Amino acid sequence: MRRVAVGPSVLVILVLLVTGFVVVRTSAQDQGADLRALLETRTESRKVSDGPSEFYFTRGVYTSGWRWGSWRIDFPKADRQFMLAVNSLIDISAAEEENAVRLDDPRIRQFPFLYVLEVGDMALSAKEAKGLRDYLLAGGFLVIDDFWGSWEWANFERQIRRVLPDHRIVDLPLNHPIFNAVYRIDELLQVPAIGNHYRGRTWEQDGYRPHLRGIFDKQGRLMVVINWNTDLGDAWEWFERPEYPLEFSSFAVQMGVNFIVYAMSH
Amino acid sequence: MFESLFELLFKYRPVIFEQGEFAWRASELGYLLSFMVAIAAIIIVRTYRQVRGNSKSVDRLVLSVLRVGALALLVFCLLRPVLIISSVVPQENFLGVLIDTSGSMQIADTGGIARSDFVRQQFGDPESGLRAALADRFALRFFSFSGGSERVSAIDELSFDGTQTHLGSAIRSAHEELSDLPLSGLVVVSDGADNASEGLGESLLPLQASGVPIFTVGLGGEEFEQDIQLSRVDLPRRVLKGTSLAVELVVTHQGYRGETATVQIEDEGRIVATQDIKLPADGVPETVRMRFTAAEEGPRLFSFRVTPKTGEMVIENNLRQALILVEDRRKKILYFEGEPRWEVKFLLRGVEDDTNLQTTLLQRTAENKFFRVNVDGPDELPGGFPTTRADLFKYSGLILGSIEANYFTPDQLRMISDFVNHRGGGLLMLGSHRSFSEGGYAGTPVADVLPVALDPNESDVGESFFSEVRVEPTRAGESHPATQIADSEQASTQRWSALPPVTVVNPIRDVKPGATVLLTSAPDDLVVLAFQRYGAGKSLAFPVQDSWMWQMHADMPVDDLTHETFWRKLLRWVVDGVPDQVVINLPQDRVEPGQAFTVLAEVGDANFEELNNSSVVAVVTDPLGNIIERSMEWTAEKDGEYRATIPAGEEGFYEIRVEASIDGELLGEDLSYVQVSPSDSEFYDSTMRTALLDRIASATGGLSYTADSSESLAEDIQYAGAGVTVVEEQDLWDMPAVFFLLLTLLLLEWGYRRFRGLA
Repeated sequence: MRRVAVGPSVLVILVLLVTGFVVVRTSAQDQGADLRALLETRTESRKVSDGPSEFYFTRGVYTSGWRWGSWRIDFPKADRQFMLAVNSLIDISAAEEENAVRLDDPRIRQFPFLYVLEVGDMALSAKEAKGLRDYLLAGGFLVIDDFWGSWEWANFERQIRRVLPDHRIVDLPLNHPIFNAVYRIDELLQVPAIGNHYRGRTWEQDGYRPHLRGIFDKQGRLMVVINWNTDLGDAWEWFERPEYPLEFSSFAVQMGVNFIVYAMSH
Repeated sequence: MFESLFELLFKYRPVIFEQGEFAWRASELGYLLSFMVAIAAIIIVRTYRQVRGNSKSVDRLVLSVLRVGALALLVFCLLRPVLIISSVVPQENFLGVLIDTSGSMQIADTGGIARSDFVRQQFGDPESGLRAALADRFALRFFSFSGGSERVSAIDELSFDGTQTHLGSAIRSAHEELSDLPLSGLVVVSDGADNASEGLGESLLPLQASGVPIFTVGLGGEEFEQDIQLSRVDLPRRVLKGTSLAVELVVTHQGYRGETATVQIEDEGRIVATQDIKLPADGVPETVRMRFTAAEEGPRLFSFRVTPKTGEMVIENNLRQALILVEDRRKKILYFEGEPRWEVKFLLRGVEDDTNLQTTLLQRTAENKFFRVNVDGPDELPGGFPTTRADLFKYSGLILGSIEANYFTPDQLRMISDFVNHRGGGLLMLGSHRSFSEGGYAGTPVADVLPVALDPNESDVGESFFSEVRVEPTRAGESHPATQIADSEQASTQRWSALPPVTVVNPIRDVKPGATVLLTSAPDDLVVLAFQRYGAGKSLAFPVQDSWMWQMHADMPVDDLTHETFWRKLLRWVVDGVPDQVVINLPQDRVEPGQAFTVLAEVGDANFEELNNSSVVAVVTDPLGNIIERSMEWTAEKDGEYRATIPAGEEGFYEIRVEASIDGELLGEDLSYVQVSPSDSEFYDSTMRTALLDRIASATGGLSYTADSSESLAEDIQYAGAGVTVVEEQDLWDMPAVFFLLLTLLLLEWGYRRFRGLA
């Protein structure tokens, strides 16, 4: 496999984005808009007459516990900024805007890439668990992000066991092809939330070491990628801020691009 | 009947008149008498003209004509007409009698009497009818023939169990053996069910040149009262293991109209498919489409059988067998994709469990950046799409996804064309905004290969096309192996109509003249899947950009395998029959024990250019495990073609492995099998072939007979004029017809006079 030296290009793109070459629309009113209406608009846009995009960065909407609406952390700014970077870095027909879909919506299967975060407080309904199970077994690809420490892991594990009771969760070694799909990743960085960065740390709770874990189907195909003790979404959301380290933003975007390309070819 | 009546009136049968010449042999007295009769006729006419009485002129005219007619007949006799014919000198000539001893002669289709019984009755005993009649005139030489021919003497000991009928070679060898003798002709006693691969024409030429007539005696009926025959089965000689084969069987019958018959397919005795059919009108072929899976590896003998019914004349023709080499090997397909697309993931996912397909993905992720999946090693496709023919031609199939024509150099576009045309590979282009016309392929060499017509202006049109379509198979698609997505043809058609819609951005409605459309979209009439044979290979167009919807649409059950089945069938068909550098071609895959078979091999280099100077060896393992090694020689008839002939002594499968190398470097090898067993061809189309027997006889100046009409055979040959003959003059004045005519004229005259009241 040819190794692609891409680190500098990611940096250049991010620098351009940061310096205003690309105007990122961080729309406050969108974050406060009627989310159900937003969902309807987004999920129906897959089959529009003037042709849909090939790729939608789809955020899974799920029921959470005591923290209401934890699925929408960083939404939609992180999604939009990440898509801006993806469209700039690789040759892909990707929708620039966010696309949030409920896990129990049957149409979710039309978006084979799904991003779900803050699963430490996930409390799936039975319908959502079934919807996610069907999605994964049919061929969907799930990326989990932004949950920390043993307590949140335990909650996530309980939830994912309801979805995939017979599948093991395993660590993905650095020689797994997902670390080399487009960008070569030699080291797993712990990407901090911006607040923790201001506090001078990268960890939260007792999550001191980042992990990339996976769940494979019966044929050995990777269908779930679990970013534990790390927060790629915050890096996508705040990479335009000069004070947020470019090292983390670059890593997060590279990992995200690898996830997408791997998911679309495996 | 006609001949008997003719012979009664004219003394001889019509054929004697045909062979002979007419002449007068009157003596001087005869001429004198004739002259006197003529004078008498003139006097009579003058007398009738002068007589008046109560007669009218019409009466005189009628009476004159009748009287003169009688006198003319008298003159005819006085002039002594004769027929000059050549007649063989008894026992001075030889006659070859060729007796068909093939298995079909055992068929008892003439009132329950076997065809071979006629032979025994007529030729078994020297005193028996036809043999005795011939022996009175000729020195007889008997030959028996089926696959080969030989001299025989004891006709009643013939066994009639030959597995083939080679009429031409039998006639040729009998003629060669008797050519130094005075030969009056050959008699062929056969049902005419010739099943030799070569034509008859060449075998008859020497006989035509030397004027030796052939007389045929056809045995059997021209059609059976009740019989079912499995007339045809078309199958490939080799397939990948696990391939689902769609086979067309043609069933014909007589006497079972409207009845149900059962057709079975067996793989080495194991039933793999069964279907009931309703038999149509007599003689109308019924085409039966059935499917089965070649599940077991190796040379497999598949049997196709129509269960015999009560009263069938021949049950052996209910069975056909086909030898298929089921290969457990991987065919490589290169899938080149210009951008990350979901079609990639789900296509690869669809075929990943197929151990006989290796789909290597080369995906462009950014300009000059490529991502590879399923490569054999780091040296495969290191710099993107192959730049040499040798690198591209390693693959059997090529899929072009969303990749624009401009990506390729002109030479690479030509290479892709040659991949199909010259190398014999399978090309599949998928739908996307970067393929077909939208990808700028119109006017390129690739466009020539594709089965669809590309609009050169399409890529310049500003408005993009987008349509959501439901797919349905065409009539061809309903039965084509590439589009079978359920267990039966009917279930497959229903499944297609139930699939969720997919989207199309390539508005293709026209296909090339030689192309076949397998899938279409009803409302827009868009081409969804089409193929054509092009040069040595084939090309397919599938202008759908998201067939993965057949996997991921909410309407599809999670465990549904339609998407996987579709891609597996389609890609298997793409690489089906794609040759390698060394390919064995067997003119016959079944030969008789004791015969030799020919092995042909085509050899090419990495660019699939034919090589005439390579070292080619055929290693043959017979059923007992003995190894025969033969060096194969270039045929000089065709570039890259080598030939060897292998003796086949034992019944069973002969394994043939051909290896080709040049300068010590192995180019490739191939494996095939030949079945050595008695042929079953005798019982197919085994009714009497009247047309063929007539043609043999008429082409050589002989005559054709049936068992019922063969009584006159000996006499006809006697006057056929071949061999040592003497000229005979046969009087015609004493033909009964002359007497009857004279009597008639006189009676008419008498009656007319009575009727008219004349003196």
